[in-house]
Amino acid sequence: MIIVKDLHKTFENNHVLKGVSYHVHQGEKIVIVGPSGSGKSTFLRCLNLLETPTSGEIWFDGQLITDEKVNIDRIRQHMGMVFQNFNLFNNHTIMDNITLAPVKLKLMSKEEASEKALTLLDRVGLKEKADAYPSQLSGGQKQRIAIVRSLAMNPRVMLFDEPTSALDPEMVGEVLAVMKELAETGMTMVVVTHEMGFAREVGTKVLFMDEGRIMEENTPAEFFANPQCDRLKEFLSKVL
Amino acid sequence: MLSSFSQKDMIEGEHMQEWFDSVGKKFVLAFVEGDRWKLYFKGLGVTLEIALFAAILGMVIGTVVALMRLSQKRNGKKTIWARIAGVYVDIIRGTPSVLQLLIMWFIVMKNSQNGVLVASLSFGINSGAYVSEIVRAGILAVDKGQSEAGRSLGLSKAQTMIYIVIPQAIKNVLPPIGNEFIVLLKETAIVGYVSLTDLTRAANQITSRTYEAFMPLIGAAVIYFTVIKILTILLDKLERRLRKSDNR
Ligand SMILES: Nc1ncnc2c1ncn2[C@@H]1O[C@H](COP(=O)(O)OP(=O)(O)O)[C@@H](O)[C@H]1O
Ligand SMILES: [Mg+2]
Repeated sequence: MIIVKDLHKTFENNHVLKGVSYHVHQGEKIVIVGPSGSGKSTFLRCLNLLETPTSGEIWFDGQLITDEKVNIDRIRQHMGMVFQNFNLFNNHTIMDNITLAPVKLKLMSKEEASEKALTLLDRVGLKEKADAYPSQLSGGQKQRIAIVRSLAMNPRVMLFDEPTSALDPEMVGEVLAVMKELAETGMTMVVVTHEMGFAREVGTKVLFMDEGRIMEENTPAEFFANPQCDRLKEFLSKVL
Repeated sequence: MLSSFSQKDMIEGEHMQEWFDSVGKKFVLAFVEGDRWKLYFKGLGVTLEIALFAAILGMVIGTVVALMRLSQKRNGKKTIWARIAGVYVDIIRGTPSVLQLLIMWFIVMKNSQNGVLVASLSFGINSGAYVSEIVRAGILAVDKGQSEAGRSLGLSKAQTMIYIVIPQAIKNVLPPIGNEFIVLLKETAIVGYVSLTDLTRAANQITSRTYEAFMPLIGAAVIYFTVIKILTILLDKLERRLRKSDNR
């Protein structure tokens, strides 16, 4: 579904991604772990072209999306993204946060979008917050809404960049629960996280990124039981 | 002691009387005689007219120029529009507004019969540069995550600006825009250079006609001050209302 070939990204003189290649298949849940600054966010943000790769190719559903001529707005409609800092639209109600994109992009009528939003809100237990503003919600609630907002677009794949890292500990569970449920529906997911429990339980593959490269890739069981490279062993000894 | 005190009092009383008489005469001379008060208000009318047109024009130019300056190519480089807008802001900020007015008046629009229009254009083009800086800062102050979230949902750059970034930027820019309008209102006082009779020039003309400077000049100052005070109060009210409905 997503094929990445020899992806490089350089910020000014900072060579952040040093040749990343990977193939994400439909329905997979790829969990990416690694030390801070290793390029995990940059990699994820390249996938939906929030960052423009310096070189390399990204194919999405058979289309070369790194091609200059591709309409990236159209591509992004099919790739949901959830941010560490939620990034709900401060000037809109929860309902409008969810319905804004599908309505403005003329994918749904206002009624259809509202109906869909209410169904999704109900699924995450936040139906009564439809008319609230983001500032009136807790971090955990905001992140669940952010997930709903992405889902309202009926994406083919969901990208998560440390979705629980900005949350108070007691709110991490509610967000992970929503993500687990989403995984069970068969959604293709790429998740950057420090939640090793989630990686073990939900991941179909776990990747270890370090210094701009994918250093190791394995099934969760093997990844945690039999780490191969020393950097991963060291990393796991710190986080487990 | 007592008698000398009362004597001094009397003398002071006489002085006061004289002073009041002369002030009264000066007041009549400056404002009443020949219906001169009408000249101040006619001048104020010209001042307000120019300031208002210039403010509207400045707001439009400022917003467009701010968006031009913020435009980027896909690789993050400046567009040609950003460069043009940058040059415009540089030129306006790097030259005196009196000179800009004179150039507009004697060179660019020397055939125009409508002095207020020429002055409004000149001040509007001038104000646009400053407004563009304010708007640019207001847009940049909106968290980058807001537009990234918009773009990640597939909204275009323009849609993200219109529905998400600009509504939040407006709250940031309102106070400095109000300030810019007040600066603009006072700066119109230089239109006397091109023989338009605004409030300042009206006061100046009355001064030279009556050989009496105090009343006309202080009178004009009081009028400017009052207008700007009213404006400030209105802007404060608007700002407070916006902050109350602030849902951030
Ligand atoms: N927009 C940017 N401009 C310049 N440098 C950046 C930018 N984004 C990330 N970097 C740099 O890229 C490196 C990797 O960052 P990131 O991908 O955020 O790592 P991670 O998510 O693994 O912590 C860091 O050194 C960071 O400073
Ligand atoms: Mg990161």
